[in-house]
Amino acid sequence: MAAVDATMDPAIRAVDLRKTFGAIHAVDGITFELQAGRIYGLLGPNGSGKTTLIRLLTGLARPSGGEAWVLGVRMPSRANLARVGYMTQSDGIYAELTSRENARFFGALYGVTDAAAADEALAVVDLADRRDDLSGQLSGGLRRRLSLACALVHRPPVLFLDEPTVGVDPALRVQFWEHFRRLAAGGTTIVVSSHVMDEADRCDELLFMRDGKVIARGSGAELRARAGTTDLEQAFLRFSGDAGTIPAQTGTAAS
Amino acid sequence: MSRRRVVALWRRLVQELRRDHRSMALLFVAPVVLTGLLAFVLREQQPATVDAVIVNQDAGQAGAKVATSLASGIEADGGSATSGDSEAVAEAALVDGSASVVVVIPADFSTALAGGGQPTLTVITLGLEASADGSQVAGVQKALAGALASALPSGGARIPTISHGTIYGSGESDLVDNLAPVYLGFFAYFFVYILTGVSFLRERVGGTLERLLATPVARGEIVLGYSLGFGLFATLQCAVLLGWTLLDLQVPAIGPLPAFSFGLAVPVAGSPLLAYLVVLLLALGAVSLGILLSTFARTELQVIQFIPLVIVPQALLAGVLFPVSSLPAILQPISAILPLTYAVNGLREVIIAGADLSTRALQVDLLVLAGFAVLFAALAGLTIRREIA
Repeated sequence: MAAVDATMDPAIRAVDLRKTFGAIHAVDGITFELQAGRIYGLLGPNGSGKTTLIRLLTGLARPSGGEAWVLGVRMPSRANLARVGYMTQSDGIYAELTSRENARFFGALYGVTDAAAADEALAVVDLADRRDDLSGQLSGGLRRRLSLACALVHRPPVLFLDEPTVGVDPALRVQFWEHFRRLAAGGTTIVVSSHVMDEADRCDELLFMRDGKVIARGSGAELRARAGTTDLEQAFLRFSGDAGTIPAQTGTAAS
Repeated sequence: MSRRRVVALWRRLVQELRRDHRSMALLFVAPVVLTGLLAFVLREQQPATVDAVIVNQDAGQAGAKVATSLASGIEADGGSATSGDSEAVAEAALVDGSASVVVVIPADFSTALAGGGQPTLTVITLGLEASADGSQVAGVQKALAGALASALPSGGARIPTISHGTIYGSGESDLVDNLAPVYLGFFAYFFVYILTGVSFLRERVGGTLERLLATPVARGEIVLGYSLGFGLFATLQCAVLLGWTLLDLQVPAIGPLPAFSFGLAVPVAGSPLLAYLVVLLLALGAVSLGILLSTFARTELQVIQFIPLVIVPQALLAGVLFPVSSLPAILQPISAILPLTYAVNGLREVIIAGADLSTRALQVDLLVLAGFAVLFAALAGLTIRREIA
């Protein structure tokens, strides 16, 4: 069923993507292309459609209209999920399993045959010495790390992170971002959703979201400059003022 | 003690419950519906139709008289009565289902009566369902009371006693022996349903299902994996329960401890492995049912709330407490679509009647149970949508 896009160029492509729940337009006609090896930040208030957009791109939700393409494959595609990592907003790990058992379980579902992969993923998030602890007994921050490890265990070329740093202390947050940067340098495309503006500058490019639409796109510096402010939060509010009108050049800016 | 705090707690509970429509329905509607069902089942019980074969071994007059008037008495009550040549032929009719009860008038009936003694009539039933058998015996007794009044000279004659025998099971099988097939099925069904329902609900609520579905796993793989996982525990539970049921370990007196026996010592006529197969098929269906119903629950409490709605009617209608044949006519088709009906039937056939795989009735039960397991698994697979929101 999965149609293959001949160009294979952008890692992620959305074409007039829509999702409605009754009268609510959670995602309201989003079109963009995201390039491989970059970190993209989805920024917007709660309820602006970030999670729904990610669920459409991962194929967890079926679009009401439009198309979602990941690595040249039209989503939803079950097989293509082996190349996608998804760290959900809730931890989504099994409390009665140890860290290692969790990582191995998700590894197995992703089709990972390498027995060391789970341990490597745990080492990457600095959980190696807690791998035999029951994950339900880990602190909130450690559980977030484990959740990240479970999304990384199959070394996916595309990674969706839904509010990965919520409840994570500043020191760990720095570690997370260093790690995201390393992955991106290795060619991984990362989409991070957040409503914390101070994280935004760590992304290569930002997509401001509001009411299911992308209202602005560009690097932090660009967006600030265009909004004529030194503060991203101010910039967001500026763009929110004329929601729906994205200047044409921002669609392909800074690539 | 602050009145304000107590009132605040009280008010919060009322507010919470009032918004939980399902709990409200359960609180008020479920007891009414369930007791209504119970009353219906009890009050509208079908009187057992007595299809008797009367075997008269008595050459004397009294035997013939009793046989004729008993036959007309049974027919007057809406049953049927034929006379059988021998006990063996009559019992064969019982086994193939063309008769529901056999009455044997013994050879010494007339002489015992003439001698002023108390003759004995033997009533033989199948022995698969104690309650169904009981109503057959009661039906014969009722017809017999009328028959004796007209057939025997009043005064002096003693009323014959009835000795009840069964084809299957030992003559002295007790209530536990009769209940064993029923509870083996019921426990497997009940606990596997709860286990799966709650643990799948935790997947849904805890966000792990979302994550599971973000992997290349197929819905069928999830249902199959769950079936294997809980099937293992259903298997172990069944093994323990079956072992406990059949075990008859005599522990001799040790020191001050008196001798006692360990285990329920229920005799099993058929193969325990076959009983096991029945329970396993039932449990596999229950796994999928748990997944299926967890879709309609938001909390673990709500999974538990399905018990009165899913489990209790099965107890009433699946021949667990009352024989299916005694159910009001409009409820009988319902019992035909309950998996537990077939499991209880199958277990009775194996444990009491000693059925093996060549027994037609058991083949049907096994096939239907397998069919239910497949059907529920398919439905459960359909409820696991990638689109959860």
